[in-house]
Amino acid sequence: MDIAYQPIEGRSRGYYLLLAILLTLVAGGVYATFTMIAHGLHLSGMTNRVPWGLQIVMAIFYIGLSAGSLVVSGLYGIFGKAEYRPFARIAAFLAMLFLIAGLLSIVTDQGRIDRVFVKPFAHFNATSMFSINPALYMGHVMICIFYLWALFKKKGRLTKPTSVIVVLWALGVHTGTGAIFAFTPRELYNTALLPPSFVAAALSSGAALMILVLVSLFKITRRHLDIALVIWLGRLLAVFIVVAMYVILIENAHRFYLIESREATSYYLFSGYHAVLFWGGLIGLGSVVPALLLFHRRRGSSVRWIVFASVLVVVGVLCERYLIVLPGLEHPPDLFPGWEIVGSVLDEGIVTYTVSVYEILQALGVMSFIGFIFVLGLKYLPLLPVEARAHGQSQMLKGMIARAVARRAARAQGVSATRL
Amino acid sequence: MSDGTGTIGRLRTFVLVALPIVLILAPLGLSLYDHVFARDALEDGDAAPFLEFPAERDEGCVRDSAYMRFHHWELLREVRDQAMRHGVRGEISLDRCRTCHASRERFCNRCHEAVSLEPDCFGCHYYPASPTALTSDTAPAHGPGR
Amino acid sequence: MDRRAFLKTGGLFLVGTPCLGGLLVMSAPRTAAASGAGTRRWGMVIDLRRCPADCTACLDACRRENNVALHDDPRWDVHWIRKVTIARKHGKEERTRTVPLLCNHCDHPPCAQVCPVQATYKRADGIVIVDQHRCIGCRYCLIACPYNARFFNYKGGETWTNTGYPKRSHGVAESCHLCAHRLDEGRPPACVEACRARGTGALCVGDLDDPDSEIARLIADNSVKRLRDDLGTEPKVYYIGL
Repeated sequence: MDIAYQPIEGRSRGYYLLLAILLTLVAGGVYATFTMIAHGLHLSGMTNRVPWGLQIVMAIFYIGLSAGSLVVSGLYGIFGKAEYRPFARIAAFLAMLFLIAGLLSIVTDQGRIDRVFVKPFAHFNATSMFSINPALYMGHVMICIFYLWALFKKKGRLTKPTSVIVVLWALGVHTGTGAIFAFTPRELYNTALLPPSFVAAALSSGAALMILVLVSLFKITRRHLDIALVIWLGRLLAVFIVVAMYVILIENAHRFYLIESREATSYYLFSGYHAVLFWGGLIGLGSVVPALLLFHRRRGSSVRWIVFASVLVVVGVLCERYLIVLPGLEHPPDLFPGWEIVGSVLDEGIVTYTVSVYEILQALGVMSFIGFIFVLGLKYLPLLPVEARAHGQSQMLKGMIARAVARRAARAQGVSATRL
Repeated sequence: MSDGTGTIGRLRTFVLVALPIVLILAPLGLSLYDHVFARDALEDGDAAPFLEFPAERDEGCVRDSAYMRFHHWELLREVRDQAMRHGVRGEISLDRCRTCHASRERFCNRCHEAVSLEPDCFGCHYYPASPTALTSDTAPAHGPGR
Repeated sequence: MDRRAFLKTGGLFLVGTPCLGGLLVMSAPRTAAASGAGTRRWGMVIDLRRCPADCTACLDACRRENNVALHDDPRWDVHWIRKVTIARKHGKEERTRTVPLLCNHCDHPPCAQVCPVQATYKRADGIVIVDQHRCIGCRYCLIACPYNARFFNYKGGETWTNTGYPKRSHGVAESCHLCAHRLDEGRPPACVEACRARGTGALCVGDLDDPDSEIARLIADNSVKRLRDDLGTEPKVYYIGL
């Protein structure tokens, strides 16, 4: 099966306008970074008690999103679903960009950016997750570049084993990112379920992102995308959501049950703005609603609802990334069990992190930077297939598609479609 | 219209080629200007930067001039690692340099500015740019400093 | 060789050389992070019975000696040593205690475990110190410290209170290093010296491995407690009267 790829034309006014907007936002991010280099990081919302903020949250969010390539490559390489091979190029390209975004977010967050390019290599610390992870991220970028090269050169015999390597390495990347937090003695970080939970949420956000990217790109470029492919991804997304919810449930039930961590977990789950983020953002809108939508017989086979569910999942996972980083820092360590600190020159109790405009500028700048490269890539590289058709559909899927087509036709004619 | 021929096409090609070249050569040009045309006139109009030495040099420097000129950063790095990593603090310290070379402006900065090398040291390490007087009897006293 | 092959080979060479170089640099044998400096194991004993609630001698001395920046803002102020007032959570006891808190110089420091450039490390003599020439300011050590004893220099300080010791510019992590520069020359840390000068004598720094040292006798003769013993970090700051 020879797939035809064609880059987009990219000459419309909208295209150039998009490029201009993205470049402006990049300039804003560069300005914010240089201002903080010159004057100090106190311009961000970070403090001694909350030394990591929005940049780290976005970094791990991007790393999680890069799992989209893992999902697609896994579907093709491990499960042998050849229908997803056309998406391997854009998935690998996106994964590479998201990893670069993650690395960029971390690098622009350092106190001494001038030292961060040589010293972590010359003085590599094998016990530090902050040493191991950039090595994993850069390795993943190189593997994705190699994968892209193999795909562009149509080296069929190489792409299949490489897709398996992509899956395995990506698993390492996401486990390692979760380990950055899990392998520290902080009360709300110190759980062995954090790396698996990170992988699960990465899979769900990555699959959701693939759905959003594919549907929107094929729609904008008016190319044909078989619904069956989207429905399958939607089903996979539903499974990932359930797995992620399961791990999060166990994680929080465990630390709430144990008396030693109950106070901290009560703070995490029930008080403050992050309780809203947890129950409303992550559980409610980010997991329960999308799962219900995707498992629904009719809605789960409607592209519109699948896209809506995917958007909810991405937002929910962003809330989850925030919840991984910030509450653990806002909640103080228990230095004197049985005692409480009533007076100090520092804020020894629960503190609140507020984002500053410089961090927002930086985050927008990083996002726009990879957006810029992505949009350019669509024009200059043959990333997007001319069309994507599902081959060898199962009977069930054939029936679902037939019904969906009939529903659309009925709606177009103004006939009630509730019976279909 | 955007195929390279025609006025707009030629202009576009020219901009796309000229812009990167200018962006790459601009720092080079600015640096050239700085060093050839706009450099401050040195006191003696000499080619080599003038390093101000103290009036009396009783014990001499920790190493000879030739070594210091080409290897003083290696020496400082070695002293730093010995002091920080191994806790071995010996004779050599920045404070000791200051006893003879009291003015950073007329000693360190002279060569560093000439070669455009801004060391990262003096944001943290105390080395006043210009003390009021330079004779050895008003130089800062020895202290347990670095 | 045609142009394409030339470009391909050249590009591969250009990319491969720094990669290979990087690998070689990373695998090169490195000098041990901590060697020499004798076989002492520095520790500290704080006698809370002798520490008055309103005394700030050690705090001021440390700040002055080490050029620790103060901006009058609890968000970014650095306190290598600070005093906290604690009260019992439950029960009717009204009495509060004041406890000086500082880096505990753990024998198993989580901060040194997580530093990506090995800027924070434990010397052979047990002092945990930050190599300010190497710190990249990632703040992972602040995250990993279970005692909230580490600080990030957000704003930097304008001037030196002690010209004999460097200050830190913004962008690096810092914490108490038991005045390693003074200990290396046989002088006590600034806080200990100030406490002694005041006549209080609540602080004592010495060699934990020397059975005849004052600190060893204090630990042997008194009921001492360390912060969060259960974590396994083996802190070397002992409290009497906690």
